[in-house]
Amino acid sequence: MSATLLLLAPLVAPTLAAVAIVLVGWRRSTAIASVTSCGVVLAAGATLAATTHTSNVVLGLVLRADTLTAVMLIVIGAVGVVAIWASVAYLDAELLHGHTTRPRARQYGALVNVFIATMALAVLADNLGVMWIAIEATTVTTAFLVGHRRTRRSLEATWKYVVICSVGIALAFLGTVLLYFASQHAGQGAGALDIDALAARAAHLDPGVTRLAAVLLLLGYGTKVGLAPFHTWLADAHSEAPAPVSALMSGVLLAVAFSAILRVKSVVDVALGPAFLRGGLLILGLLTLLVAASLLLVQRDYKRLLAYSSLEHMGLVAVAAAAGTKLAIAALLLHVLGHGLGKSVLFVAAGHLQLTHQSTAIADVRGVVARNPLLGATLAAGFVALLGLPPFALFASEVAIARGAANAGLAWPLGVALVLALVAFGALVHHGSAMLLGPPTGDAPELVLSLPAAAPMIAGLAGCLLLGIVAAPLTHTLLAAAANVMASR
Amino acid sequence: MSYVTVLDFAAGGLLLCSVLLVWRRDLTAMVRWLSAQGVAVGAIPVSLALHRDDRALLAVGIGVLVFRAVVLPRVLARVLRGEPEPREAQPLVNTSASLLAVAVLTLLADAVSQPIVRLDPTPATQAVPLAVAVVLTGVFMLVTRRRALSQVVGFVMLDNGIAAAAFLTTAGVPLIVEFGASIDVLLAVLVLQILTARMRVKFGGTDVDELRELRD
Amino acid sequence: MTAVMGAAGVVVQVAAIATGAPVLVGVMRQVRARLEGRRGPGIAQPWREMRKLFGKESIRPEGTTLVFALAPAVLAGSALVASTLIPVATTGSPLDSVGDLFAVIGLLLLGSVALALAGLDTGTAFGGMGASRAMTIGALVEPSALLAVFAVSIPAHSSNLGAIVTAVASHPARSATPAAALACAAMAIVVIAESGRLPVDNPATHLEVTMVHEAMTLEYAGPQLGLLEWAASIRLTLLLALLANLFLPFGIATAHAGLAGLGLGLVAIAAKVVVLASLLAGAEVFLAKLRLFRVPELLAGSFLIGLLAVVVSSFLTATTK
Repeated sequence: MSATLLLLAPLVAPTLAAVAIVLVGWRRSTAIASVTSCGVVLAAGATLAATTHTSNVVLGLVLRADTLTAVMLIVIGAVGVVAIWASVAYLDAELLHGHTTRPRARQYGALVNVFIATMALAVLADNLGVMWIAIEATTVTTAFLVGHRRTRRSLEATWKYVVICSVGIALAFLGTVLLYFASQHAGQGAGALDIDALAARAAHLDPGVTRLAAVLLLLGYGTKVGLAPFHTWLADAHSEAPAPVSALMSGVLLAVAFSAILRVKSVVDVALGPAFLRGGLLILGLLTLLVAASLLLVQRDYKRLLAYSSLEHMGLVAVAAAAGTKLAIAALLLHVLGHGLGKSVLFVAAGHLQLTHQSTAIADVRGVVARNPLLGATLAAGFVALLGLPPFALFASEVAIARGAANAGLAWPLGVALVLALVAFGALVHHGSAMLLGPPTGDAPELVLSLPAAAPMIAGLAGCLLLGIVAAPLTHTLLAAAANVMASR
Repeated sequence: MSYVTVLDFAAGGLLLCSVLLVWRRDLTAMVRWLSAQGVAVGAIPVSLALHRDDRALLAVGIGVLVFRAVVLPRVLARVLRGEPEPREAQPLVNTSASLLAVAVLTLLADAVSQPIVRLDPTPATQAVPLAVAVVLTGVFMLVTRRRALSQVVGFVMLDNGIAAAAFLTTAGVPLIVEFGASIDVLLAVLVLQILTARMRVKFGGTDVDELRELRD
Repeated sequence: MTAVMGAAGVVVQVAAIATGAPVLVGVMRQVRARLEGRRGPGIAQPWREMRKLFGKESIRPEGTTLVFALAPAVLAGSALVASTLIPVATTGSPLDSVGDLFAVIGLLLLGSVALALAGLDTGTAFGGMGASRAMTIGALVEPSALLAVFAVSIPAHSSNLGAIVTAVASHPARSATPAAALACAAMAIVVIAESGRLPVDNPATHLEVTMVHEAMTLEYAGPQLGLLEWAASIRLTLLLALLANLFLPFGIATAHAGLAGLGLGLVAIAAKVVVLASLLAGAEVFLAKLRLFRVPELLAGSFLIGLLAVVVSSFLTATTK
């Protein structure tokens, strides 16, 4: 009974919230319901983290949770809480200034909740086919969220996003089909795509077909993660979307797509040996870091800056996955959680800046700390968190990733990755300090940030800080999740 | 007429339709050939089902046939209804070069699909390289066309190829996955249809080259 | 005995083609006329025109060289030699071992090149224009022709035309495969391009700017023009016969057939070629000539279809055995 509740709650709660919003509209009550549903997802994830230490939780043939699922649910829940909480203030301000209408706010609310539900389904899926369906559904759900503001630029961003991600996902489907084909020839027919069944048969999968499937799945889901060379949609989509949606997409969706790659990795590494995907992930990861670092240097738009920073972190995550040791993957998951929280805080703050300045150019924003100390401090803390400085969580995770990569014998690639990360660090410091520090320009509009509006950001920062200081209790869970990815050898 | 002949003609027809889709520049004709390709895709599971006497697969096959030959082209035709100039402008790669590229892609697909054929050398899997060639042609079309609708046609062609490959290798994936995949494709195409309509309003046309405000 | 029969077969084949080719052109013109609502000149009209031309004075423009004078002879000669190599009425020709695909394509190309050179030799603008157009089309058509016949030769494991036709004749089911269908489509486009019919070239045009083949023969008159027309009609007949025999070779005489078999072969090929020619003429009524820069698209498409035929036949050979 409790298993059913634990597995269904993360799906049912956001769906109910979505239905409520469709019926009643975006109001105080439905907004609170949405935030609560994300809290439910978080709670379910935390409970599952404790329960799945001993065994996986399975519901029928469709849902399944292991420790990796639990960690991902925690990520979804935590970032979801911050983002949807911030949506309240965001939508209120937009409605006040006439940038959006009540029906569109209703559409936004419903879509955001369905988005959370589809991401939860992706990590709770029992077989790779259902996982694929859920990830494709996230593309469809976020399409209209990205285009929420109905401007020319957001339409362009939506088009690019839908086209590129749909092609990538379609290729991932071909990869799934081929994996099913190989699996059917390695064992009995039914349940050939189930994660557990695949793990059991992995050693008998035909290498040629599995290699083809692995390439397609890596490239397909890699498009959704934004790995170069399929990253061209990321900056556009994440910069044109409303700030809370950007927070969700940058913070969680990329991570969920990467968890799909981790699931595939657990099967392919047994079938083909770890070297194959290690090489692929390393190439894609380093390429992504290169692209992100170079484009961060020349950025003139702060939302695109944050999007490219997400790209950089995903590149780092790919390098960690390439290392493949238990420590590296556990660090990867911690990194994903910390990055989700930190990035969402930054995007929400950027949303406030955008609302006031009506522009996303870095040159237009000067002296934020001087104009509004609260916003300035939050923004500064967010940058510090993102840059991987102690005591925030990203410091611990990046150190652990470096150690894991060095242990796995990837010293040279690690060196390259660190150099590129340093370049990105420098770029972020440069642009961030240009915006935050110094005297404001004479005609700068007044920056207003009420405490209720600042609350989600402070909560996110607190979470990130907590993770950094008190990581120890989580270590056991993260290592167990990493063991899931390493699967049976 | 053995099922192998039907299968061969379906696979050949699939490839021929993709050649014609790359060749023709008239958007209304392209939608019609897409419908024909849908028939070819649907014929594959139907013939396999009749050969193996599999009722479930037959139902799935008829569903696929109706979906890809009727429903999807109808959605695309709806996009065309508001179109003042239903012709593809000069594509990024001219027609002769496109056709030669398709030839190269077919050879590439053949080389790449060898492991699949080797694993299970039945008449059905032997046609998988053709389906993979259609997938590659779909990607090519997406990349080299200027009109939004041509890109959507390329995407549907890509998906047709993948569906054909799925049915040829394993007589389909589990029903729930096939169902979900079809719904997802339909939703994606509907989204693209709505976006094209909005594009026509905001940009005064559906030339994707007009979308170039976002850059670094 | 078989060798004599074979030689006799070849002689009869060449004679039949030489006399029947202008009649075939006459049939095409008659079909077209009837479809357009005219009475038509009758199927013997091309022979009457040739008789008139051969009675005229031979004229050589000033400034032309031996190339101009020899071209009609080369064209007609290569066409006649090709007619001995292609298995039209019989596959039992003693020249069968030389009857290779590449030899035949090479002979037809020889004739085209000779005519193109003659067009250049005249030094006129239209001659040069026609020559360059003809060579462009020819260069693009040759690969398609080779691929289309190659696709049909894969199951036969030989590029010898006689062997291919015999193989197809003994396994008729091979013609009902996607590979054969694609190869037939590609070959049909090749035949249209090589013989200069619509939509590649309009043989009945009198607007010089739209001409391809006629532009090269503008300066010819009298017997030489007659020879050129005759050679063109032989080439058309040969191409149609090749198309028919590669895919529907029933009725063709084998190496061991007697006089009766030879007669049957002649009748069969005559019937098939007349049917194909009538279909072609009928289709021409509904087609307009393609603009020259669109012709490479058509030929690239035919190349692709030929390549697909080769690819498909190599994938699906297991099922067509």
